[in-house]
Amino acid sequence: MEYLSTNKIAIVDLTNSKVSDQELDKELVKEKIGGAGITTALYEEYQKEDPVILGTGLLTGTLVPASALSIITAKSPLTGKVCHAPITLYAGIELKYSGFDYVVIKGNSSKPVYLWIHDGIADLKEANEIWGKDVWESTDFIRELMGDPLIQILGIGKGGESGSDFGQVCINYWASGDRWGFGKLFGQKKLKLVALRGMSLLEIADPEEFVRECKELLSTIKKGSFAGKKGIGELSAALGEDIRKWLEPIVHRHLSCFNTSFPTNTFVFLDEEPKRLKETDKEEPGFLITDLYGLLGFKKLGLSASDTCALLRESAKYGMDAVAVAELSQKAGKKKPDEIKKTLSGLKGALESLGKGKFSPWCPSFNLSTDEWERRQAVAYLFGIHPIFALMSPELSEEKLIELANLGTGLAFTAETLDKVIADILK
Amino acid sequence: MGIKVDPKKCVSCMACEMACGYHRDDGFALLSSCIMVTRGREKRDYSAVVLKEEENLVIARPEGLEVRKLGSGGEADQSKGKEDASAKPLLLREPCDLCSDREDGPLCLQFCPADAISLG
Repeated sequence: MEYLSTNKIAIVDLTNSKVSDQELDKELVKEKIGGAGITTALYEEYQKEDPVILGTGLLTGTLVPASALSIITAKSPLTGKVCHAPITLYAGIELKYSGFDYVVIKGNSSKPVYLWIHDGIADLKEANEIWGKDVWESTDFIRELMGDPLIQILGIGKGGESGSDFGQVCINYWASGDRWGFGKLFGQKKLKLVALRGMSLLEIADPEEFVRECKELLSTIKKGSFAGKKGIGELSAALGEDIRKWLEPIVHRHLSCFNTSFPTNTFVFLDEEPKRLKETDKEEPGFLITDLYGLLGFKKLGLSASDTCALLRESAKYGMDAVAVAELSQKAGKKKPDEIKKTLSGLKGALESLGKGKFSPWCPSFNLSTDEWERRQAVAYLFGIHPIFALMSPELSEEKLIELANLGTGLAFTAETLDKVIADILK
Repeated sequence: MGIKVDPKKCVSCMACEMACGYHRDDGFALLSSCIMVTRGREKRDYSAVVLKEEENLVIARPEGLEVRKLGSGGEADQSKGKEDASAKPLLLREPCDLCSDREDGPLCLQFCPADAISLG
């Protein structure tokens, strides 16, 4: 695959500690587009070896607005179905720039390992020193070891290591959209984390026209209904639950995922003056809220914004899905932060908020029907568009994304191609 | 006339970096950008936008603008902390040319979704 691609798939065999790579067949791209289309095909190809597939969207890491997304595809320990979780922030693009469009991780290792993917090379490394560390410690360890603070980490904490159904694959220090228990899968495979870094170059079939279209699209998006708004508070308000007054006193800043107009993430300061502009001396002054439903889950227990975000931080350090922690705490009648924190170890129970489809319920529905929401998510997960922003921005239409895909790759995708691939991944 | 960055508007999305990289390489890459969002202090939520100009290194920090003369030795200070090691390659790159070969001006400005970049 020549354009918008690294043309490489890594095949990582944990059982035999072997790594190989293969070319990304252009015919596969023509047939399955990218993202969830190809991760699903790769999952089916390797399904006997219980694979976890990491994959980039066709447009991931480009100037297409909100092209921030990569995905994890695997069988969810919670639902028993093959599901997809979003990789956002900067980790989504780092996968592609590390030199691989897709990574197949199959089998189980007999000892703790981590996968270091950088500049077109994938290495399996011993992880004895970080097995047992929490998500934050592990991220710090790897970045210090490699001397690069921009390494992006998909990692688990004690939640995943201990086999909790709610173990989450986190992104660096923060919660992710993994609501499928993929952290448990990492733990079963003795895979502590995947570290990503690279400086690839993606070529474009028709560069000038592609970039011109991206610019026009951004210009239209900037006139849309979310123009000028920022943060998880605004997002919640748009969904009908206004938490802005509750959260605002501790908000430090709002942050976007790669090239995404609306910052869906909000950094709160818990141990520092929130309005401070200068860099703080404190090592861990706060937390980046990346998961609206985790936030709302703890709020529902009657907690303050500070206590809520402190629990989000504890959940992320432990590598647990905060939505599950909040919901099961509520069911158990636990409402005090200390009581809830103690539930992180050994958390069990059935979730009402469990996702029922293929795509993570981390992304709100925006009052769409299930079918509409699923189709829009499918489009986002194929092309590599931020799933929340895809729902906020109708300007990122299917027609426009197909047009950009064709300009970028020189291929000839059609609405029929898209319909067929969506039908395949939803079946 | 040069690029101006308002760090209070910046949402650290890296669109400027990618746009600059495209201008340099005619493909998507971050290897040659002369504008960069420093992201090395993630846990502290502290970042700046750093721009390499012909003679200056411009650092737009949340608390204010800092301009360091290139070649004075002082520019190295901006990357002395290990958290900012990622900004070091910027010193080796080509300076901003304001996308002089483009009729519609600098691409970083056009692709900033937060209107944090202007010409002034």
